[in-house]
Amino acid sequence: MASISSRRLRKELNEINAEGCPCGIKLLNADNFETWFFSIEVLGESLYQGEVFKLMFRFDSSYPISSPAVQFVVGPDSQAPIHPHVYSNGHICASILGNEWSPVLSVSAVCVTLQSMLASCKAKERPVDNDRYVRYAPDNPKKTRFHYDGKYPHIQHNIS
Amino acid sequence: MAQVAQRNIPTIDDLKVKLCYICREEERYDAPEVPPKAWTHPCNCTLVAHEACLLHWIQTSQQNRSRAANALKCPQCGTAYELESKNPLLLRLMDAANRGLSTMGKVVTIASLTVVVVSLGTGMYIISTAYGAYALKEFLGEEMFNLLLTEDPSNWPWHSFINLPLIPLALIISRLPLDIGVTPIVPVLLAWPTSSPVHSRDRIILELWKSSADVLKRSSYPMLPSWPPPPLFLGLFIYPVVRGAYKVLLTKFSRWVLNTQPEQANAPVQRVVLALNDDGPFRIRIGANLEDPAADRPGRVQAGQADAQPGDAADNAEAEGLPDDAAVAAENTIRVSGTSLGRLIGGALIIPRISSFMGSLLFRMSKHSWVLRRLLAIRPPLPSGLVPPALFPMYDEKAWRAMSTAKQIGVAGVMGLSVMWRGTYAWAECDPVWSASSVSILAAILLTFTRRWRNSLGLGIFTVAKDCLHLLHLWLTKRELESRRVKNRSFEGVDIRELDLINPAPAS
Repeated sequence: MASISSRRLRKELNEINAEGCPCGIKLLNADNFETWFFSIEVLGESLYQGEVFKLMFRFDSSYPISSPAVQFVVGPDSQAPIHPHVYSNGHICASILGNEWSPVLSVSAVCVTLQSMLASCKAKERPVDNDRYVRYAPDNPKKTRFHYDGKYPHIQHNIS
Repeated sequence: MAQVAQRNIPTIDDLKVKLCYICREEERYDAPEVPPKAWTHPCNCTLVAHEACLLHWIQTSQQNRSRAANALKCPQCGTAYELESKNPLLLRLMDAANRGLSTMGKVVTIASLTVVVVSLGTGMYIISTAYGAYALKEFLGEEMFNLLLTEDPSNWPWHSFINLPLIPLALIISRLPLDIGVTPIVPVLLAWPTSSPVHSRDRIILELWKSSADVLKRSSYPMLPSWPPPPLFLGLFIYPVVRGAYKVLLTKFSRWVLNTQPEQANAPVQRVVLALNDDGPFRIRIGANLEDPAADRPGRVQAGQADAQPGDAADNAEAEGLPDDAAVAAENTIRVSGTSLGRLIGGALIIPRISSFMGSLLFRMSKHSWVLRRLLAIRPPLPSGLVPPALFPMYDEKAWRAMSTAKQIGVAGVMGLSVMWRGTYAWAECDPVWSASSVSILAAILLTFTRRWRNSLGLGIFTVAKDCLHLLHLWLTKRELESRRVKNRSFEGVDIRELDLINPAPAS
């Protein structure tokens, strides 16, 4: 019997395939129930007009009780958006990926939330502690305990 | 309306399709799961879930401190979930006890940390104070010590509990390279001159002090300082002046001995760095580090050799560039080999002992020299049980009260000045042990207020001697570096045919 995690992911995938992704979001790859890739762009007026980013979702077996690990892919063909809550290694400081995660959220809901996070951006800049964080950041952003209040995020500490 | 009110409000069991918001599994009313799964609708919105899923979610979230706040409410409408459980009084009591113990544990942790910090601090304070008293005894001599402080801390004036622990601190600070003019003995000199003798029952102020014909002379407070100089005067004026002068002289002398150039304008910054390793209350700095590189000096080549020594590298890096002079190399060599924090602190803390030792040495020498006796102002010890008056011999409470306020102020002012200028009677009348040290200070120079004086002089002399020794060490090291040659050997044992000689060896 398939695990709760993969059964729920299969349902989410079926929904995406049946109803399509929200505007500006495309499923690139969902070959397994561990890692999915999406492309994401902000439609309409925004600082990121014409930019397309790549999102990576990593699920563990306790999804949806535990949140997915979500980050922007930084590679030869894609970069992390310049945003006060996005580190240059692609890690995202967003409360819904941390302490405000709830199983009522889904993969496409997370995509939409991140899309609106980009759309509402006022100034393209990196988090203040970007360099320090990126130097010591763990591979999995879930291992970082972000601190979500305040205008700019800051890292409380890494659990590594 | 009544009908509506009476109509059953639907429950979870009335739904056609139930969709668990956690696992996203559906269950149709006409196709129940086998075995049946419990469903729940815990809030005010439309979200429903398997009870097992929801409990799993709540339990998991509650274990995570940052998520615990959101564990018991609906993510959509925010309604608080209500849990029903077997939660008997005993469990609640135990939970409460557990929380209480956790809180107490935190309190205990904080308390024990505090205790550790406080006891460390107190230990440091007690040790510092004890050391301060020891230093004072060494420096002032038994007699003064018993007069001003005594071995029994309950006799000590309140300010001694501030002054005493500062003594080791001041001694150590004085040896740091910071040029702030804190001199090792100044705290002692400043702290005690104005303190009156400790009162204890078995001590009586003898009438001698009031009746002696001497008193009239003394009470006129001549504007000339007494000899030996009173501690305040010594500490505030003579000592810094002498120290400065001594430093200049020593620097010049060192330059002359080691044949180095005066340092250049930007040297001071660097000196601080280099002098960190320095010892002695009086800094000896030859200051040749920034020598003009163009200067053609015979010492150069040898200095280069010295650079190659392991351990020199760090010093050279500090000096921003290679030293051009053997004197510098010599200095580096000495410093590299013999400095440490322990030496700095130990050297500072032994000052009182040294000063006391030098003082007693001076005292012994004074038996053979009238001049020295005068200089040290040696007096016979006070008769036992005798305590000199605190401030001035004519001190008389009745007379004081009889004075007008203005006169009181005037008299107090004169007394204050006189303390500044001459010291209190306690200081003036005691064997100025400190004077030997002051001569030390006079040499370094002014530390020996008779015993104090003597010890001061002694310390000064010691300092001068030590500086001379250091200089000699430098000079000898420099000479050693300059005179280095690699020993030349003949080709004995080498096959001559392998050598390309001017006059080839005849083939044999």
